[in-house]
Amino acid sequence: MNNLHDLLLAKPFSDQVMELLLFGSFALHLLFVLLMLGTAMIAVFFFVHSWLTGFSYELRWDKRVLSIHLALKSLAVVLGVAPLLIIQVLWSVPFLTAASIMAPYWLALLGLMIFAFLSLDILGHKMDVHPVRHLIFGVLGLAALVAVPAVFTAVLSLMENPDKWSLVAGKGFAAEPALLFHWLMRYLHILGAAALFGGAFHYFFSTRGAQERHYHLSHWMVVATLFQVVVGVLLLVSVMGRLTPAVITAVTVGVFAAMLLLGLAFYRHPEVDKRRMASALVLLPLILVSMLMARQYLQHQAVAPMQAALEARAQEARRRLAPLQATALRGFQAHLATVYDNGETIYANACAFCHGQDGGGQGSEAATLIVPPEKLNAVRAQRQYLYQVVLKGVPGSGMPYFSVFDRGKLDSLLDYMNASFGSEALPQPPSRQGDLAAAKMVFAKTCAVCHGEQGQVSVFGGGLRPAPPDLTRYGLTPQRAYAVITQGYDGTVMQPFNALPEATRWGLVGLLASLRVKP
Amino acid sequence: MLFPTFYLPGLGQGMTIALVAVVHVLISHGFAIGVVSIIVLLEHLALRRGDAELAGLAKNMLKPVVIIVTAVGAVTGAGIWFTVSVLAPGGIGYMLRVFFWPWFIEWMAFTLEVLVLLPYYFLWERMRAKQAGLHVALGWSYVAVALASAFLISGILGFMLTPDGWVQNQRLVSAFFNPTFWPQLALRFLGGLAMGGLWSLAYVLFSRHIGADLRQRVMRLLGGWVLVNGALCALAVWIYLGRIPQTYATHKIFAVLTSRLSQDAWLLWLGNILAALCIAAVALAAWLRWRRVALVLIIPALILTAGLVSEFERAREFVRGPYLMPGYMYANQIPLAQSDYLNRHGFLANAAWYQPQPPGLTPRAPAGHALFMANCGVCHTIGGLNDIRDRLKGRTQPSVTVMVRRTKQMVPFMPSFSGTPAESLTMAAYLYELSGERRSLEAVPPISRKGVGHE
Repeated sequence: MNNLHDLLLAKPFSDQVMELLLFGSFALHLLFVLLMLGTAMIAVFFFVHSWLTGFSYELRWDKRVLSIHLALKSLAVVLGVAPLLIIQVLWSVPFLTAASIMAPYWLALLGLMIFAFLSLDILGHKMDVHPVRHLIFGVLGLAALVAVPAVFTAVLSLMENPDKWSLVAGKGFAAEPALLFHWLMRYLHILGAAALFGGAFHYFFSTRGAQERHYHLSHWMVVATLFQVVVGVLLLVSVMGRLTPAVITAVTVGVFAAMLLLGLAFYRHPEVDKRRMASALVLLPLILVSMLMARQYLQHQAVAPMQAALEARAQEARRRLAPLQATALRGFQAHLATVYDNGETIYANACAFCHGQDGGGQGSEAATLIVPPEKLNAVRAQRQYLYQVVLKGVPGSGMPYFSVFDRGKLDSLLDYMNASFGSEALPQPPSRQGDLAAAKMVFAKTCAVCHGEQGQVSVFGGGLRPAPPDLTRYGLTPQRAYAVITQGYDGTVMQPFNALPEATRWGLVGLLASLRVKP
Repeated sequence: MLFPTFYLPGLGQGMTIALVAVVHVLISHGFAIGVVSIIVLLEHLALRRGDAELAGLAKNMLKPVVIIVTAVGAVTGAGIWFTVSVLAPGGIGYMLRVFFWPWFIEWMAFTLEVLVLLPYYFLWERMRAKQAGLHVALGWSYVAVALASAFLISGILGFMLTPDGWVQNQRLVSAFFNPTFWPQLALRFLGGLAMGGLWSLAYVLFSRHIGADLRQRVMRLLGGWVLVNGALCALAVWIYLGRIPQTYATHKIFAVLTSRLSQDAWLLWLGNILAALCIAAVALAAWLRWRRVALVLIIPALILTAGLVSEFERAREFVRGPYLMPGYMYANQIPLAQSDYLNRHGFLANAAWYQPQPPGLTPRAPAGHALFMANCGVCHTIGGLNDIRDRLKGRTQPSVTVMVRRTKQMVPFMPSFSGTPAESLTMAAYLYELSGERRSLEAVPPISRKGVGHE
């Protein structure tokens, strides 16, 4: 991988500090994500429960859960800004590469989140009046919300497996069963953690005075914990080759804390309620921190060596690019100084490389074109006609359309061309007298096939690419007209008519001048 | 091609980012700054006058605002960044490093915004009963934090148009306090206040839970609010436009009207004047308490406001032309110095993600396709918006070749081609093939070169 960007080298802190910041800000973000996600699961689950039991009790609690969700989700979203910022600076190439490979899903996050949040907000609004409608919103909203961590875990799983990037980019996740399995376990582990944290949060902090819910939630927590144990073991299996003592220690602490929390849920005694809450306040963060430590160790091992190698290459790239910086900067300043708001500048930059600065058709690119650029200093045409040519181009030739310039700019360009080349003057009759009678015959018999009897392009001529000009509106100086008749126009069906007697050719030049309608 | 960039079919990179950004601006400016400011103002006035009805109106307005701001506003804000992360990873990768600190502080500002808004919303009843003054103070501190986050964003956005001294000295202060910083901050804040006035006015006009007398009073207040803030915002826009270098400013008509309408600049003036008149009219009607007139005009005024916002953001993003970061990086995320390097040493040889035979989908000419996507794909699509085939319709192969070599000269807002002369030929040949002109040429029988015009 030849990496030329030097963007990797500007860093606000050392990598260690950045990793510490990433860890802290991510833990904070994830805490609220888990609480929010768990709250949404609980809200929908218990809404269904209440509905099935006829809304007989504790609807007020259900509503409160949803307003808690609104608060939690707001915090979860804004707290995500810091870890996203830090990971994009700390591990920019691995992260942005993984996100790019997963781009369609990554972009879908936006719609998923907005839909989920609005749906769940609707769920809380008059939930007892329209239960069916709200059930639909709740279920769809929860489905969208639950899909969000699927994308994030996929991006992170991919980021941590650089060797699988090109395969996944080409064939998708399905091509890598091991990665797919790791992602699935990781994703389920997040869902389980959300259920557990959400359950614990509401069990300990929001169910005072809602005994029935309190009781249900203890079951909820047991199920969530068992789920986490099974998924956690499978997740460990999926990273078996990478386990280090640090990872194992962190996981062990986490598991131990989770077991203690579960014990607390069953040890029910009204007098020790306060102490149980205090213990939960310690245990929940401990579980989160230790599990995230394990995750961060694994991530570091997977990504840090690659990032270091990339940065070494970027150093080299910076050395190679250093001598070019000054030229680049001069080019930028020249661009800033060139304002395309006047005909002179526009002609010099956008026209001269083909038509030549002097309008002689000998710009530096002229020789590369099959249809040579027109010698503008010999053009004698109506302004409106020239405007149409510049605006729309000439299909089949090198002349592109210039509607990239607004009317004012094109007017200024035409003014400049008229002032420099006299392009809007009337064509003068030739100084040499030609054979007008012969010219009229030739024109009617031969020229009119394409140019039309009166000089307005014939139907046949209009089908040519490039089509001939409308001679009633577009003319040339006598010398140029004679030259085109004699030599033809390269790259077009305009033949060299040098076999015609010279007098006939001059006669044609005179005829052309008379065909041209006045201004 | 440092990243395996995903090119969105149909809409293309730029338009997608723009759509998300416009939705975000409408909400973050209009609701988070504008409507919340008005709610706090109404609550403040209610407290001073002991007007419970007015306080009730303020409270009723808050709930939908909180839902929209937290569900759509915050998500689209992060969403701009999400979108840019995959549609322009090279650009965002560098921007984050230049602006790490403002971005990091912005995170704190966002968090603080939510931390103030939530108690303001949830504790409304409880605090109004005992600490009403504190509650109003909480509201005003929200407005202050929202202003702070607009402050931070304006520095970053302004940089992308007028980096000024940063290009030479690479100092954060030069980048942040760039020439368009203050006018942009002013116009965003004042525009937000004016938009908030219109949204609030719509609520007051249509709401059924509001007494006739209260409605009249609030209409008068909001009408004046929109007139004053709207006029100040227009002034800020005018100052802002004056600070944009002429090189960029000269593209503003094309930026809005595009190739399709570029010849009819009057449309732009007509649209803007109509929008300004409509907004002024609805504000005046509200101030004069003509409810019927205001009711008729408010919806068009809101639609036209969204149009003005889109127009401004589009022009701001477009006119900086060939650059993503002027003086450092082209719009296609190729740094200027690197472009020079690639011109000498080859684009594809230095691309991280180029495979001559990509697995799965194999375009007809992988090299030309890869060069096109990397060089042009940020603005042009194949078959979607700004379709390259339309742009090349009618061109011969040599003329496509010249156009590729001369992009920046011909069209001053297009970046130069990055790659060797041989690569530019490869891309031109691919594009010519793509444009379909070869097939149309083959359809015309060759014209005999003999026997024409010989008497």
